Amino acid sequence: MSNTDYLLIFIQFIVAGGFVTLVLFVTHFLGPKRKTSDKLETFECGIESQGNARLPFSIKYFLTAILFVLFDVEVIFLYPWAVNFKEFSSTNMSGFISMSIFMGLLLLGFIYIIKKGALKWE
Amino acid sequence: MNSEFLILMKQEMGVTLILFILLFLKIWDGIKENGILLHLINVLLLLNFLLGFVLNQNGELFNGMFATNSLRVMEKSVLNLGTLIISLQAYDYLKSHKHLLEFFMLLLSTLLGMFFMISSNNLLMFYLGIELSSIPLAAMANFDMDKIKSSEAAVKMILSSAFASALMLFGISFLYGTSGTLNFQELVSLITGSPLQVFALLLVFSGFAFKLSAVPFHLWTADVYEGAPVAVTSYLSVISKAAIVFVTLSSLAPLFSHLNEMWYHLLFVTIILTITLGNIFAIRQDNIKRFLAFSSISQVGFILLGISSGTATGATSAIYFLVVYIFSNLGAFGVIALLSSQTGKENISDLKGFYQTNPLMGWVLAISLFSLGGIPPTAGFFGKMFLVTAGAAKGNYVLITIAALNMVISLYYYLRVVKAIFMDKNETPVEPLRGSLSLRLALLICMIGVVGTGFAGGFFEHIYQLAAK
Amino acid sequence: MNASTMVFYILSAVILGGALLSVTAKKIFRAAVFLLFSLIGIAGLYFYLNYEFIAAVQIVVYVGGIVVLIIFSIFLTHESGRDMKEPSMISNLFAVFACCFAAALTYLFIKEEHFNATPNPTLEPSARNIGTQMLDITRYGYILPFEAVSILLLAAMIGCIVIAIKLKPKE
Repeated sequence: MSNTDYLLIFIQFIVAGGFVTLVLFVTHFLGPKRKTSDKLETFECGIESQGNARLPFSIKYFLTAILFVLFDVEVIFLYPWAVNFKEFSSTNMSGFISMSIFMGLLLLGFIYIIKKGALKWE
Repeated sequence: MNSEFLILMKQEMGVTLILFILLFLKIWDGIKENGILLHLINVLLLLNFLLGFVLNQNGELFNGMFATNSLRVMEKSVLNLGTLIISLQAYDYLKSHKHLLEFFMLLLSTLLGMFFMISSNNLLMFYLGIELSSIPLAAMANFDMDKIKSSEAAVKMILSSAFASALMLFGISFLYGTSGTLNFQELVSLITGSPLQVFALLLVFSGFAFKLSAVPFHLWTADVYEGAPVAVTSYLSVISKAAIVFVTLSSLAPLFSHLNEMWYHLLFVTIILTITLGNIFAIRQDNIKRFLAFSSISQVGFILLGISSGTATGATSAIYFLVVYIFSNLGAFGVIALLSSQTGKENISDLKGFYQTNPLMGWVLAISLFSLGGIPPTAGFFGKMFLVTAGAAKGNYVLITIAALNMVISLYYYLRVVKAIFMDKNETPVEPLRGSLSLRLALLICMIGVVGTGFAGGFFEHIYQLAAK
Repeated sequence: MNASTMVFYILSAVILGGALLSVTAKKIFRAAVFLLFSLIGIAGLYFYLNYEFIAAVQIVVYVGGIVVLIIFSIFLTHESGRDMKEPSMISNLFAVFACCFAAALTYLFIKEEHFNATPNPTLEPSARNIGTQMLDITRYGYILPFEAVSILLLAAMIGCIVIAIKLKPKE
C-alpha cells in the first residue's frame, strides 16, 4: 500500500471523529434545558449515593491481563512464522524446529499457570 | 555446526537445562521435601560450575550474536561459583519457603541473561541479556511474601531498572540510527564522536551506572537491599554487579574506544561521587543490609577506578577485585542471613557482644569485613591495591588522593562493626546461632577464597594472561 | 506542503498532544486514556512509514495490551478517582528548564549531525521478510534473540504468578 491509500483511511477517520464531536457539541444547543437543583436530587425511594463508584477490584483481573499481554507478545512472534510456513516446512526443518522450541517453552509456562490455578475464578 | 554450538554455548546450555529440570519438577510435583530439592539443585549448580573447566574454545556463533573466549568462560565460572555459594547460604531461608523452585527458576533465568550479556557481540543480544537479568530479579526481591518492605523493594527495583533500560535503549537506538549496525565490531569503527553518538554514550553509560548503582544513580539501592530477602540482596550486590562490570570491561569500554577522552571524564566524575557519597552514607547506617548496600556503592567506585585506566592491567585488577569481593561480601552476607533467619535481627547494634556467644561466626564476619575494608593479610587488600595502582597509571593524582582518603574513611566504619562484634559489652547478646551444614560449607568456601586468593600469586597473572589476549 | 508532509505533522500533533495531556492530566485515569492516543499516533507513524507489521504489533501489544493493563492497575488502587496533587513551584521550574534544555539539544543534533547511509543491505520490512530473518540461522539471522525472548517471557510469567497469587487466602 502506498501513502495515498492511507490518506483516504485517515480522511475517513477525521470525518468519523469530526461527526462525533460535532454531534456531541450540537446536542448542548439543541433542545430545551431547565437546570434546577431539584432535578439532580435522588427521586422518591432512591438512596443517597455515597463514596466513589470506582472501587478497587480483584487482583485476578490484573493477573489475567498480564498473562494476556504475555501471550499476546507470543502470538506476534507466530505471525511472521505463519506467513513463511510453507517455505520453512518444505526446504529445511530448522524454522520448524526453532519455532517448536519457542512454543514448547511457552507451553510449559502455560501448564505451570494451569497447575498453579492462576486461571481459576472463585 | 551442532557440536561446535554445544561446546561454545556449554554454560548457557547448562543453565537452561537446569531451568528445564526445575520446571519439570515443579509441574510433576513429585518431590515434596524442600531439603532434598535444595541438595539436588546445589549438585546441579556445582556440575554447571565445573562445566567452565572443560572443553574451552574461542569462537563466534549466529553471526556475532554470541561470542566466547577463555576470559568470558572464566567470568561466567565466577558467576556460577557465586550463585552456588548463595544457594548454599540460602538453605535455611528456602527450606521452609513455599516457592522454592520458582526462586531458582527466576535466579537461573537472570543468570542466563547475564551470560548472554557477557557473551553478546551485538547490541540486540546485549539488551535482551540486560532485560533477562533484571526483570526476574524484581520478582525475586518480592519473595518475602508477607512483608510490605519486600514488595516496596520489588516495585522500586522494577521501576528503576525499567527506567535504566529505557535510557540505555534510547542510547542504543541512537547508535543504530547513526551507524546502521548493531554488531560491536562494525560499530567500533563507525563511532566517530558525532553529537548524537556522544549523547548515546551518555545514555548508555547512565543505564550502566544505574545497574551498578554508581552515584548519582544509586537512589534505589539502599531501599531495595533492605527490603529484599538476604539471599536476593547478596545476589543483587555481588553477582548482578559483577556481571555488569564484566560487560563494561569486555564490551562497553572497547565499543567507545574512539571516545576515550569523554569516557574518562565521565568515569572521573562518577568515581569521585560514588566513592565519597557511598562512604558518607555508609557511616550513618544502623541496618546492616543498608550498611553493606552503601559500602558496596563505594566499592563500585573503586572498581570503576580500575576500569578508568583502560589498560589490560586495569581490567585484570577489576576482575581480580570482583572475585575477592564476591568471597568477602558473601562471607558477610552469609552470617547476616543466618542472624536474620534465626533471630530476625538486622541491626549493627544487635551485633554487640556477638563474639561472646558466636566466636566462630564472629571471626567469619570480621575477616569478611577486613577484606572488604582492605586490611593487609586478606585478599581485599591486594585487590584494592591493584585497583588503585592501575588507576594511578593515568597520572591523575586528584583521583588517587580522593580514593586513598576514602579508603581510610571506609576502614573506620568497617572497624566500627568489628568493634561491636568483639569489644562492645552487651547484657543480652544474640543467642548462639546454629547454621546448617550447607551454610557452614558456603562460609568455609568464602573464607578459603578471602585468604587464599590473596596468597595465590599466580591467580592475578592467570587473569592477566586471559585479559591481555 | 504536500499531503504526505501534512499527514506527518498531524500524526506528530496527535502523538505529542497525547503525551503532553497525559503528563499534565489531573486524574490518573485520564492520563492513561491520553497515553492511548499517543500510542495510536505512533502506530499511525509506522503505517505512514509503510511498516505494516510493526504498526500492527504496536496496536496489538501497546494499544490492546499495555494500556488495558495500565487501566486495570489504576483500578487496583484506592484513589483512582481523586485529583492528583499540584506539582510544586520548584518542580514546575525544573520541568521548564529540562524542556528548554531538551529542545536546545534536539536542535543541536538536527543541525550538527550528518546521517550516513547504512553499510548493511536494506530489506523490505514485510512480515514475510521478518519471519525469514527471525528464524534464519545463517547470516543476519536472529534465531538466538528469538529463543532468548521465549525464556524472558517464561521468566516473566513465573515471576508475575509467584507475586500475584500470594493474595489468595490460605486454605
